[in-house]
Amino acid sequence: MSGIGPVEPGEGTRAQDASPPPRPRREALARLYGRHRGAALATLLAVAVLAGGGHLYATRPRPAPPPTPPHPTQVTLIRYLKPQANSRGTASRSFAFDVEMIVESDLPVTVTRISQPYAGLSVVSSPRTPFRTKAGSPRKITITMQVAECGKVPRNVGLPFLDVTLRNTRAIQAHSFILGPRYARDLSRGLEVACSNDFG
Amino acid sequence: MRQRSLIAITAALAAGALTLTACGSRDEDGGSSDSGNGGTTVVIGVDAPLTGDLSALGLGIKNSVDLAAKTANEKKYVEGITFKIEALDDQGQASVGQQNATKLVANDDVLGVVGPLNSSVGESMQKVFDSAKLVEVSPANTNPALTQGVNWQTEKVRPYKSYFRTATTDAIQGPFAAQYVYNDAKKKKVFVIDDKKTYGAGLASTFTEEFKKLGGKVVGTEHINPESKDFSAVATKVKNSGADVVYYGGEYPQAGPLSKQIKEAGAKIPLVGGDGIYSADFIKLAGAAGTGDLATSVGAPVEDLPSAKEFVANYEKAGYKEAYEAYGGYSYDSAWAIIEAVKKVVEDNDGKLPDDARAKVVDAMQNVSFDGVTGKVSFDEFGDATNKQLTVYSVKDGDWGTVKSGTFTG
Repeated sequence: MSGIGPVEPGEGTRAQDASPPPRPRREALARLYGRHRGAALATLLAVAVLAGGGHLYATRPRPAPPPTPPHPTQVTLIRYLKPQANSRGTASRSFAFDVEMIVESDLPVTVTRISQPYAGLSVVSSPRTPFRTKAGSPRKITITMQVAECGKVPRNVGLPFLDVTLRNTRAIQAHSFILGPRYARDLSRGLEVACSNDFG
Repeated sequence: MRQRSLIAITAALAAGALTLTACGSRDEDGGSSDSGNGGTTVVIGVDAPLTGDLSALGLGIKNSVDLAAKTANEKKYVEGITFKIEALDDQGQASVGQQNATKLVANDDVLGVVGPLNSSVGESMQKVFDSAKLVEVSPANTNPALTQGVNWQTEKVRPYKSYFRTATTDAIQGPFAAQYVYNDAKKKKVFVIDDKKTYGAGLASTFTEEFKKLGGKVVGTEHINPESKDFSAVATKVKNSGADVVYYGGEYPQAGPLSKQIKEAGAKIPLVGGDGIYSADFIKLAGAAGTGDLATSVGAPVEDLPSAKEFVANYEKAGYKEAYEAYGGYSYDSAWAIIEAVKKVVEDNDGKLPDDARAKVVDAMQNVSFDGVTGKVSFDEFGDATNKQLTVYSVKDGDWGTVKSGTFTG
C-alpha cells in the first residue's frame, strides 16, 4: 500500500498490443519445429543419450594402472637348510649344503649369480645360474664350495654372507643373504675338514 | 504450448545431465575433515631426543609417530578410539628417559610408547614400563642385550616382556659392517674408537670380533669423551697407527668432527660407523673430507621400498618441518604396531577397552603382523623384529648413497 512497486500494465497497454514487432525468424523456426517436432525431439534425445553415454564412458571407474613391480631383493628370501651328507672330502676339498629360495611376488625372479666373498673359495650351484623361481614354489638350491687355497679362507666367522644377484622385470640387484649361525657353523666345519691336510 | 514443450525438454535434459554427472562421480570420496573417531582417547607416548645434538633423529621419530596416529584417526582404523601422541624429550640422557617413562606410566590413557633412540636410554626405561605392563617399541635401539639379555652371546634370555623393537640388532649390524669392510672394501687394518656408551661400545665390540675372525688386524683402540669436540690427540694416534680404516661406535655429533680431524691429521682413510652416524648431519659436520666415509644402517633404504611410498608422500603432505631421517619408517611401523595391538584388544572386548588394557596390549603385541612401511612387521620370541635387513651407505657428492644391502635369514 505504499505505492512502491511495479505498476501492472492495463488492458491494451502492452507494447506488443500497440505495435507487434515483426519476428519472422523466430516464427519460421517455430513453424519448422512444428512441422518436424518428432524428428527434433528424437535428435535431442539422441544427443542427450550420446552426451550422457560419453560422460559415463569418460568418467567410468577404470582399473588402477598395474603397480610398479617391487625390487627383486624385496621379494626374495634365501634360507639355509642343511649340509649335504657325504659331500665333504679332503681329497676334493669341496663340500655342499642346501638352501631354499622363496619368492613372494607374482613376478618370477631369476638368480643370475651366486658367490661368496672369500678369496680361496669358489662356489657352484645346482641348478646352475641363471635359473628362475616362481612365487609360491620354494626352490631348493644345492651350493657346492670348492676350496682353492686354505690360507685365504677364514675358518670361524660369525655371520658369513652368500652373495646373490637377482633379476626381475624391475631391476638387477646384488644382495647379501646372511644365513645365520647354523650356516656359519657348518661352513666352518666344512672348511675345517676340507683343509685338514693343510695343503694350499 | 510450444514454449512449454521446449521448457519441458530442456528441464528433462538438464535433469538427465545432472543425474549422469552424479552417477559418474559416485566413486569420488568427499572425505571428512574430522580426524576424530569419537569415543575413547588412547595416547601413544613418544620418547626421543627432541632437543640437543641428536634432535634431527628424535624429531623424525616424533613426526612419524604423529603421522601414524593421524592416519589411524582419519581411517577410523579402530572403531571408537581416537589416538593422540604425547612426546617427551629425553635429551639423549638415560636419567631423563627414566623420568619420562615414569611420567608416561602415570598417564592412564597411555597404552604404548614409541622410543627411545639411544640404547642406553632404552635400558633405563625398560624396567619402569615392564612393571606397569606398558608396551614399549623402539624404532632405533640396536644393543642386543635389550631383548636377549646381557649374556646374549652365550645364552639368550628375554629380560622384559613389554619391550619390542623394529630395528635390527648390533649382533648383526657389527658383523655385517666387518664383512663389508674386510671383503668388499678390502681394508685389513682397523683403528677402533667408541664413545663408551651402551650403543657405541656394543657395536664396536661386535664389529671388532668379526673383523678379527675374518683375518683383519686391529692396530689401535681408543675411547672418546662424547662431551668433547676436540679429537686431535686420537686423530694423531690414528695417523701414526698405519690403519687403513677407522671404525667408530657412536653417534654423528662426535663422528662428524672425528672424521674431519682424522683427515686433517693426515690420515686419508675412511671412517665407518653404524646407524648412529647415518644422518645428514654427519655429512654437514664431517665436511668435504667425509666423502668416502661409510655407515651401516638397519633396514633397507625407505625410499626404495614400494611399501614406503605412501609414507613418504604422506609425510611430505603433512608438512613436518624436519626430515623423517633414518628411523622415520621404523617409528611409523612401531606406532602402527601399537595401533594394531589396541585394535585387537578392543575387538576382542566387544568394541571397548578392557580394564587391564595395558597388559592385554602387551600380549597382543607379541602376535602383531602387518605389512608396514619397512616391510612385514612382526616380532620374534625376544621382541626383536623378524625383518632383519641392513644396508651399507657411503658419502658421495654430499649425500648418503647405497652401496650394499643384506638380509639376515638365520
